[in-house]
Amino acid sequence: MRESRFKRSNPNHSAADQRIDTLGIVAYIGNMQRLKSNKLSSLGDYLRQRRETLAAKDPSFSLRQLAVRCGVTPAYLSRVERDEVPPPGEETLLKLAAELLEDPDVLLAMAGKISADLRQVILSRPKLFADLIRSIKSMPDQAVLKIVRDVRDGEW
Amino acid sequence: MPTLEHDELVFRFPSIEPDAQFSISFMRTLRIPDTEQIYSLPPGLGTFPLRHVEDHAENLPVRTLDRGGVIMPMWQAEAMWMNFNNDGPEWADEHSMETGYGLPVAIKIAAGKINAVSGEVWRPGLHRDPQDYAVSPAQPWLDGFAVEKGVIRQFVAMPLGDGYSVEEQLTQTSEWGGVQISVTPLKAEVWQRIKESGQFSLSKCCSSVDSLEMGLGAGGRMHQEIYEDGFDLEDWDFEATERVFISLIHAKDWMSISGEPASNEPPTAKDYSEAGLPWFDYYAKDLQALPGSDTLASVKSVAGIFKDKTGAQLVGSTDVQTGKPVILGPDLPGPRQVRSSTSW
Repeated sequence: MRESRFKRSNPNHSAADQRIDTLGIVAYIGNMQRLKSNKLSSLGDYLRQRRETLAAKDPSFSLRQLAVRCGVTPAYLSRVERDEVPPPGEETLLKLAAELLEDPDVLLAMAGKISADLRQVILSRPKLFADLIRSIKSMPDQAVLKIVRDVRDGEW
Repeated sequence: MPTLEHDELVFRFPSIEPDAQFSISFMRTLRIPDTEQIYSLPPGLGTFPLRHVEDHAENLPVRTLDRGGVIMPMWQAEAMWMNFNNDGPEWADEHSMETGYGLPVAIKIAAGKINAVSGEVWRPGLHRDPQDYAVSPAQPWLDGFAVEKGVIRQFVAMPLGDGYSVEEQLTQTSEWGGVQISVTPLKAEVWQRIKESGQFSLSKCCSSVDSLEMGLGAGGRMHQEIYEDGFDLEDWDFEATERVFISLIHAKDWMSISGEPASNEPPTAKDYSEAGLPWFDYYAKDLQALPGSDTLASVKSVAGIFKDKTGAQLVGSTDVQTGKPVILGPDLPGPRQVRSSTSW
């Protein structure tokens, strides 16, 4: 995806800013594709499986203790895990992601949400990002990952 | 940050020139005989694969992960050259007398953190007296260590810790190995000056260590000029410099680390020449060549060390007949030939 395309769409933004924004959106699409390929059934199933896996080694991941740390009641978290209530809000999902060591964008995507920062990016230039997302929605996972993978520098 | 795309390291500086990119690929090639003869440029035999270190974290030493970057497999005594490619608007600059495509970049290359152009230990920034970098697009490729004016010694991989690498000879340590690269673009205002010079066109380019680690030693002698920078030193935007560490992995370990088979060992120079295949020379008229590094000129070659250690001659050290090389240059048609390694 060449930056010049974005520049023509919105000359008021620098190309550098556009690239940074673009990476966030593409990462979101990558997460959605990952979810699709993993064939995960629902947010509730996923949260419960993840919590029970952790609880097998660490009792602090009991339903009760996790709920307290995330600022919700155990009864509510139990209903979330059984998909009996709509997904929690962004704040709670971010806490759950942090506790369960999950990617927050993945959990948000499973809940049918996108993070507030990504939403702001899209709303600031809706047509530009609508075009972008549509243009890469059918890319295979490897092609999407190729777009988002920077070569990390380290200590040397 | 640079990105890894189709086994190329791609550098973009969109805040300076959105329509340009610079990429480096690492080309497999044959190892030229390590004698006193000065050879023409050997061909490219396909690219080496590059992989993110994070993708194989469980199979790599912690320090390799800490350095970041990418991993690349090489066989012992295998040679390599780096191919530089600028893509973007065509331009010509009266001030520097430079011409080309894409945003000009200064490339600093080191092996084991020994600068391949100046022979100095790696340090941040770009320097003159001696110049410690090359400029692309003027410099189309780099095949080895600059040992004298117009002559390089080929990059040849050897296991780190055995004393063959240039790093070990100059520092008496085998701490780093691998290849280090930094890429620095022109400052935005300099690029703007070039664009406004009236010679700017929007046409696109047409034309004690773990044994698995490898370092680069100095191989046979080859004719290759590294060109003097035509820009002023202050024209380069040091703040925008990007850098990458390429850890070299012995190809015999590549499968266990990456899960992918390593390529076969490349043909010998003898096989290649006997098949009547071409060698190359490159001439860029009007560009001044750097004098080469006395430090690098003092380094012993891989074949020389091998003989010191074993008393035997390294395989492939006998001169071969190369015939008349194909001449390449900025005004001549055709890129340096890249042959597929699968044809061998």
